[in-house]
Amino acid sequence: MRRKAAMLFIIGLFLLLQTTVLSRLPFAIVTPDIMMILTVSMGFMQGKKEGLLTGFVSGLFIDIISGSVFGGHAFLYMMAGYFSGFFCQIYFDNSVRLPLVLVGAGETFLNLAIYLSNFLLKGKLAFGKYLAVIILPTVAFTVLSTLIVYPILYKINHLLVERQKEASSSLWIRE
Amino acid sequence: MKKKLRLNINLKSRHVLIILLILCGGLAVTTLTTGIVKDPVRGAFVDMVVPFQNGVNKIGTRLSKVFSGFQDVQKLSEENEALQARVDELIMENNALLQSQTELERLTELYDLDRQYTEYNKVAAQVIAKDSGNWYNTFVINKGKNDGLAVDMNVIAGGGLVGIITETGDNWSEVRAIIDDSSNVSAMVASTSDTCIVSGDLALFGSGKIEFSELRDRDNIVMEGTRIVTSNISTKYLTGLLIGYVGSVSMDANNLTKSGTIIPAADFKNIREVLVITDLKQTKENSD
Repeated sequence: MRRKAAMLFIIGLFLLLQTTVLSRLPFAIVTPDIMMILTVSMGFMQGKKEGLLTGFVSGLFIDIISGSVFGGHAFLYMMAGYFSGFFCQIYFDNSVRLPLVLVGAGETFLNLAIYLSNFLLKGKLAFGKYLAVIILPTVAFTVLSTLIVYPILYKINHLLVERQKEASSSLWIRE
Repeated sequence: MKKKLRLNINLKSRHVLIILLILCGGLAVTTLTTGIVKDPVRGAFVDMVVPFQNGVNKIGTRLSKVFSGFQDVQKLSEENEALQARVDELIMENNALLQSQTELERLTELYDLDRQYTEYNKVAAQVIAKDSGNWYNTFVINKGKNDGLAVDMNVIAGGGLVGIITETGDNWSEVRAIIDDSSNVSAMVASTSDTCIVSGDLALFGSGKIEFSELRDRDNIVMEGTRIVTSNISTKYLTGLLIGYVGSVSMDANNLTKSGTIIPAADFKNIREVLVITDLKQTKENSD
């Protein structure tokens, strides 16, 4: 339970950072999507269930705060968390390479889905332009941010898991 | 309670996925078909988040002031801020004056008109949050219903139009910027009152521009640097607010209308403080 509260707190904190500080970074053309990093990292480090739950809550928060259709971002982030959970079996050390790839894939998937559902359907066909101006910079910047964010999440995860281990049997670590 | 908890834990990830998928679908359908869930939930949530955003924002501003270093520099930057605000106000005023002048010249020839552009009432507000992704250009400001703000009020900064309020809470409002992909503003050429449509374009904004189209330039005088202001036929935007200056213009394929790009007067990359005009176009017209 404490662990769930901690996760909720972290998601809330990331949402705040994302909407305030990160959009103000002087050198950033686009805002990095740290919610995606969080979702994918959780899926990767703890498995499908944790990944999809984290993704669902993160996405739902984004839906609520941005006023779009409830369930839209929730669905996309949830799927990203779920699929990164498949790679949980090969998670063993703090190497950042695989998370980088997973975050990149998740972010690309998210942005393509947003383009398809909100822009293509409105008749905005200039995909190349959107790709160059929004999608590629967002993916690139998010992947770069993973280099900083993932090690932090890795440490937090270790702390949480260790405390959990002491509290009960190792129910939470893997499925 | 305990039993239920254990049951949850034993659910397989596949089953959780299916349950949440159904939940997503259900939520989407409810929000799309009814407004019952969305607005109260969103209002309550943002009410909860805004104080934190305000806090983070204050810390951020303070930090950035520390970074900007020595006290003298700080003093200078404060002074600069005040002056910038003054300049913005003056540009705004000048714009209104220019506007009324051309209007006056044109109309006095036709009939005796005593209506002048009134000085609008303004409320200053700070931008405290931005939309989470990069696809939309909306932001949240720290003033709301309690300060007399309402939906459809115009927002300006740097002497130019920034956007329009789309949603308000007790102490926050959401503003959709005119550079947002879904934004359309009815505009006109300041000197001739030829109307056009100014629309935001994500793909263009990378180069700091917005788009205009459907301009009937009868006298063929629109060129680089021509002032574009909000038009009198818009239902939501007050008349004569500066949008920006024409960056490029070209004839459309139909040989009747022109389209091109506008360099906005407001600096959208570094918006910190905005002014909200508390006069609504609708009520203004009605009370006249």
